Amino acid sequence: MAKYAITNGSTSGGGTQQSMTTTYVGALIGLASSTSTPRRIKVYDVLIGTNGTPADNFIEWDISRITQSSTSTVLASQPLDPADATALTVTTVNSSTHGTITSGSNVFYVGVNQRASYRWVAAPGGELVAPATSSAGFQLRTRSGGYTGTATGTLHFEEQ
Amino acid sequence: MRNAGGYAYTFDVGGIRQEADTFTCAHCNRVVIVKPKCDPCDLGGMCRLCDKMICPTCVDLGRCDPIEKKLEREEARYRALRSYGLC
Repeated sequence: MAKYAITNGSTSGGGTQQSMTTTYVGALIGLASSTSTPRRIKVYDVLIGTNGTPADNFIEWDISRITQSSTSTVLASQPLDPADATALTVTTVNSSTHGTITSGSNVFYVGVNQRASYRWVAAPGGELVAPATSSAGFQLRTRSGGYTGTATGTLHFEEQ
Repeated sequence: MRNAGGYAYTFDVGGIRQEADTFTCAHCNRVVIVKPKCDPCDLGGMCRLCDKMICPTCVDLGRCDPIEKKLEREEARYRALRSYGLC
């Protein structure tokens, strides 16, 4: 059960961070099971924040289930233990459009001030779990009524 | 909260500003943030069948359908479709 990290702040090959809008348009980070060798994905650590000019605005963060990944920038996740093999999970970052979201499937939702950073850590057994089926997974999305800058996110997950 | 299913931190320029326990709904996998001193009725409830914490939405449904069973159903369906060459 190898553990991996993926962030939308990678400088090489990570695409361009997308500006926030009032609706969920893109996705900061997407995790999707491989189409040929699907594995269960367990998200156990979520770190979110902004990297724009500080101001007081609310930002809504959402993690929803997907049945189809975004098409844009695929970036390899990094194994937390370098001895582990490359992840089979397809990880996408800084997508301008999100994948196919399962309606009403948001498993993580929090409103945070733009100046704040937020971290959620699951205790063992409390992870967000996606089934080992083709292209199933999660996407981290965000929207704001006032903030139009970019945001940062990091997900730690485990493959099973 | 005893045996919390997770923990959430909010940071700002002054450091950690707020901390809260969380639990993950055993039926729908949603993360529920346990606000300090909140009314337990607002948090959801304990499913008497699977003996796990569940979110308010799942409490209202009034049935026990654990996330693990849902995942197993989806995976079984996927394996069947794949064996027929349909996905």
